[in-house]
Amino acid sequence: MNDMRLTERNVASDTAKMRARKVQVYYGDNHALKDVDVDILDKTVTAFIGPSGCGKSTFLRCLNRMNDTIAGCRVEGEITLEAENIYDRRVDPVQLRAKVGMVFQKPNPFPKSIYDNVAYGPRIHGLTRSKAELDERVEQSLRRAALWNEVKDRLLSPGTGLSGGQQQRLCIARAVATEPEVLLMDEPCSALDPIATAQVEELIDELRENFSVVIVTHSMQQAARVSQKTAFFHLGHLVEYGDTGQIFTNPRDPRTESYITGRIG
Amino acid sequence: MAEQHIARAFDRDLEAIQALVMKMGGMVETAILDAAQALETRNDELAEQVRKNDKAIDALEMKINEEAARLIALRAPTASDLRMVLSVMKIASSLERVGDYAKNMAKRTQALAQLGQVGIIAGAGASLRRMAKAVTELLSDALDAYAGRHLDLAQDVRVRDRDIDQMYNALFREFLTHMMEDPRNITACMHLHFIAKNTERMGDHATAIAEQVVYLITGELPEDPRPKAENVADLTKAAGA
Repeated sequence: MNDMRLTERNVASDTAKMRARKVQVYYGDNHALKDVDVDILDKTVTAFIGPSGCGKSTFLRCLNRMNDTIAGCRVEGEITLEAENIYDRRVDPVQLRAKVGMVFQKPNPFPKSIYDNVAYGPRIHGLTRSKAELDERVEQSLRRAALWNEVKDRLLSPGTGLSGGQQQRLCIARAVATEPEVLLMDEPCSALDPIATAQVEELIDELRENFSVVIVTHSMQQAARVSQKTAFFHLGHLVEYGDTGQIFTNPRDPRTESYITGRIG
Repeated sequence: MAEQHIARAFDRDLEAIQALVMKMGGMVETAILDAAQALETRNDELAEQVRKNDKAIDALEMKINEEAARLIALRAPTASDLRMVLSVMKIASSLERVGDYAKNMAKRTQALAQLGQVGIIAGAGASLRRMAKAVTELLSDALDAYAGRHLDLAQDVRVRDRDIDQMYNALFREFLTHMMEDPRNITACMHLHFIAKNTERMGDHATAIAEQVVYLITGELPEDPRPKAENVADLTKAAGA
């Protein structure tokens, strides 16, 4: 069953970058996420799919403690990054988010220049020692985000003046500038046109060489196109997790089947 | 699957394709039975009609493939929907082959009519018609298993193909005997043998359809080797041919 498939790029690694065990999330009295166990593999794109309100974004936000910022939100269970519990008291959430970067649904560049948008993370985390080093980091990040050629002549113009697709790639460049280990993407293409979507998807596939990518998407076709692993969430449960090819051709759970074939919303 | 798609037009598309496959199956079954009847009763007109009707079967296969391609492009089917579309294409292709064999039987029936070796043809014609009837039943069950998603029936078809193989073995032996008795029988027996062999192949296609049903339901093709009884290669050795 697990032999190499021609149509499916192989998962490069079997080692888990992040591990979640028995994760529960409550918003006040509302038990939003129940008993989620999942391994996020290194150098792999993992897609979370499921209907609205199923808990996939909530779970994504647990992975870099974005839920800390929501009043009344309580997370139980264990989530580790490289064997270190990210909810440990000694972990600084700001440092954690440098290691677990995030890209949001709507492109949200800072009202600053393109250069400063990308340089922001390395600067506040003190990741570079000189201007030259910072320049290099900015260029490298923009190249990784496949944006360098389009913006290299106008690095000082405002990031908000770029097109939607370019802005989103700028946000990806900003996220990778801190050299994160994991990149979380919450519907990164839902505000983009098909061409920009294709560019971001191509980019996600390239990012897989260096990072572990977790993407939440409402487009099942997108999940099928970009990911190697897929997790299906429904009503706060992780229903099924497996190879993307298997999930889309022969899902084990009838709920997964119903969802991906368009029978339940 | 009893559950409906949210987009109901998707269900209608899938049902329409499935209906085409069932229609094609019906046409192929008729072609087999008509060809076998034409052979036994030496009915040249009926044989001619079978040959003509094959065009409609071929056209239906093309139509099914076109519809399947359209559905893949427009609906991007996944999981069991995807397997249904894939299996539809394979089943249509199997049915088309079976239709060709029926047409070939009709063609050989017309050739045999020219030979006029009534004795041998009448004897073998009855056996061949029984074999054709058994194959038609097999095919019909395979298609019923498909339409109703009956796993057990599909598995049963795979096993029952052995009976067809045994009928073929018996006929092979019979034709061999006739030919050894009198070389003037060779032409007729060669035609009859091809008819028997083609009918045996029809059984294999019915089995292939049953395997597609297994794939459609379980997501995996059956791994166990299906029971086979076609062993004329050994018979030939025994006969010293």
